[in-house]
Amino acid sequence: MSALNSAVRSHAEAVQVSRTVDYIGLFVFFFVVCGSYHIHAMLTMGDWDFWADWKDRRLWVTVTPIVLITFPAAVQYFLWERFRQPWGATVCVLALLFGEWINRYFNFWGWTYFPVNFVFPAILTPGAILLDTVLLLSGSYLFTAIIGAMGWGLIFYPGNWPIMAPLHVPVEYNGMLMSIADIQGYNYVRTGTPEYIRMVEKGTLRTFGKDVAPVSAFFSAFMSILIYFMWHFVGRWFATVRFIKQS
Amino acid sequence: MKLLNKWSAVALMAAVAATSFYAPTASAHGEKSQAAFMRMRTIHWYDLKWSKEVVKVNDTVEVTGKFHVFEGWPETVDAPENAFLNIGIPGPVFIRKASYIGGQLVPRSVRLEIGKTYDFKVVLKARRPGDWHVHTMMNVKGGGPIIGPGKWLTIEGSMADFKNPITTLTGATIDLENYNLENTYFWHTLWYVFGLAWILYWVRRPVFLPRFLLVNAGRADELVSGTDKKIGMVFAAATVLIVIFAMSAANGKYPITIPLQAGTMRGIKPAVDEKSAVSIKVEDATYRVPGRAMRMKLTMTNNGNAAVRLGEFYTASVRFLDSDVYKDTSGYPEDLLAEDGLSVSDNSPLAPGETRTVEVTAADAAWEVYRLADIIYDPDSRFAGLLFFFDAAGNRTISQVDAPLIPSFM
Repeated sequence: MSALNSAVRSHAEAVQVSRTVDYIGLFVFFFVVCGSYHIHAMLTMGDWDFWADWKDRRLWVTVTPIVLITFPAAVQYFLWERFRQPWGATVCVLALLFGEWINRYFNFWGWTYFPVNFVFPAILTPGAILLDTVLLLSGSYLFTAIIGAMGWGLIFYPGNWPIMAPLHVPVEYNGMLMSIADIQGYNYVRTGTPEYIRMVEKGTLRTFGKDVAPVSAFFSAFMSILIYFMWHFVGRWFATVRFIKQS
Repeated sequence: MKLLNKWSAVALMAAVAATSFYAPTASAHGEKSQAAFMRMRTIHWYDLKWSKEVVKVNDTVEVTGKFHVFEGWPETVDAPENAFLNIGIPGPVFIRKASYIGGQLVPRSVRLEIGKTYDFKVVLKARRPGDWHVHTMMNVKGGGPIIGPGKWLTIEGSMADFKNPITTLTGATIDLENYNLENTYFWHTLWYVFGLAWILYWVRRPVFLPRFLLVNAGRADELVSGTDKKIGMVFAAATVLIVIFAMSAANGKYPITIPLQAGTMRGIKPAVDEKSAVSIKVEDATYRVPGRAMRMKLTMTNNGNAAVRLGEFYTASVRFLDSDVYKDTSGYPEDLLAEDGLSVSDNSPLAPGETRTVEVTAADAAWEVYRLADIIYDPDSRFAGLLFFFDAAGNRTISQVDAPLIPSFM
C-alpha cells in the first residue's frame, strides 16, 4: 500500500478509526490541558486556591476568575473554530479540577496531612458552563467575551458560597473573634507560609461596608472580559497550522 | 545505538535504585543552611523549655521561653515590623492550639521592637504519631524564617483518634478534622458530574475528524442543531438556578457569617528588660578555622552589686557553657549544647566595680556542624551573641556582644 492509498477500506472502518482518534484525542487533550492549566493556576492564583483561610471576599473573588479565564478562552476558540464544539471552557475546568483534586488529596492530605476541608479547590464549573453555552447560543466571540466572561466572573463567588459559608461561622477563640477558616489556618501549621503573606481583606472598598463581595465580583467580571479577549487570541494562534510545511 | 540503549537502561536502573532503596525521612528544617549572621544577629532564643518529650495523640506540649530582638539587627534583613511567631514542624503533625507573646494571643502577625525581649509560649496538640523535630521559629516579612533551636519530640498513638473540637458562637460544636467535608465533596461532585454531562452530550457523537472536515468545507452551521441549542439553554438555566438555590440554602443554614480576620497586631508587650550589670567591650575576635574555636578578647566591667562569673556564651541557638559556673538542667537539645565549650582566661569572680580584660574561647564541633563558621563568608562578617553572668546566689545578668570577626586559617 502506498502512502497515497486510503488507510481504511470501508465506511464502517472509517467510522471506527474516527472514533479511535476521538478517544485518543480526548484522552491526550484532557491531560495536556490538565497539566498546563494546572501549572498556570498554581503559578497565578496559588495560595488563594490552596487554603480556606485565603478564600476571602475581596482578593480571592477578584483574582481567581481573572487568572483562570485564560485557558478556557483559548481552548474555546480552538474547539469552536475548528470543530464547532462548545465545551472548551468546561473541559478546561474539569481537567484543572481533576489535577487539583489529585494534588490536594494525595499531596496536601496524603503526604502532609492537611485536612481536605482546609485545602479543597474552588468550584469553577458554573462559570465554564455559562461561557460554553453563551458561545453555543450566540456563535460570537465578542458576545461570549462580554456576556459569557461577565457571567464567569459574577457566578464564581455565589457558586462557591455553599462550601465557604460553613467556614465563615464566627468563633470566640481564646478571647479573639475568628472565623472557622481562620482557625483552620492557625491550627494546621504551615511552616513556610507565615500569616503575613496571606493576602486577604486588603484594599480600599471600605465604603461598601460588609457588601464588598458583589463589588469585587463585578470588577473581576470586567477584568475577565478583557482577559478573555487577550487569551482568545492565544487560542487563535494555537489553532493555526502555519507551522506545518505545505507539500 | 545499542550502546546508547545499554547506557540508558543502566541510567534508568540507577535512578530507580537511588529513589527506591534510599528514601530517608526528612527531619530537619534547614536551620544549618540559613546564613550564620542571620541566626546570630536577629532573634536570640533562650530559657527554652519543651514541656514534654513524649506525648500521646491529643495531648498538649508547651514550648516556652524568651526571645531577644537583637540591637545589631543586620541591614540586609528587614526590621521585624511584621513578624509571625511560628513553629518549625514538618506539616501539621501537631496543631497549634495557641501561641502567645507577652501574654497576648498572637494568631496573626505582630510588630516587634528591636532591642526588646519578649516572653513567648506556643501550645501544641499532638496529631500524627512519629518522632518530630520541633523548632521555635519567627517569620519576618522581608527577612524570611528565623529558625530557633529544635528538639525531638515523640508522638504515640493513632492519628485516627485525633479530635479538634471547636464551639462556634452560634452554639454548634464541630470537629475541624472533618467539618464541612461531606458538603465539600457533595458540591464538587455535583458540579463535576454536571460538567461531564455537558461534555458527554457532545462527545457521544463524532468529535474531531468529521467535524473538522465539515468546518473546512464551510458547513460548520450544520454541526449545531436546534436541539443542541435547546440543550444549551437548559444547561445555562440549570446552572443559574442551581447556584441561586445553593446560595440561598447556604444563607438559610448559616445566617451568621463573618469575613476572614486579618491585620497586624500592634502594641505587643515586651518583658521587663533588666539593665545588664556587666558592660562589655570587645577588643578583638578571631575564629580559628582548624580548631573550630572562636576567641574573643573582652574588657568587662561589673557595674552591679554582686561579684559575677561568666557562665555561658549563646549564639545562633548554640550554647557554650563553663560547667564550673553553670550547668544546664532544662533538657536543651544536646547537639546545640557545648557543656564545657567555654573557657575564660581568668574566670574568678568579677567584683563590683572591677574591670578586667580576659580572653574567652568558645570551642566546639557545633561551629562546623551548625555551619556557624560560614560567617567568615557572609557579606557582613560580624559575630553576635549573649553572655550570661552568674553571681554566687545563681542570679543572672545578660550582656550582648556584637563585633567584627577575623578568620584565622593557621
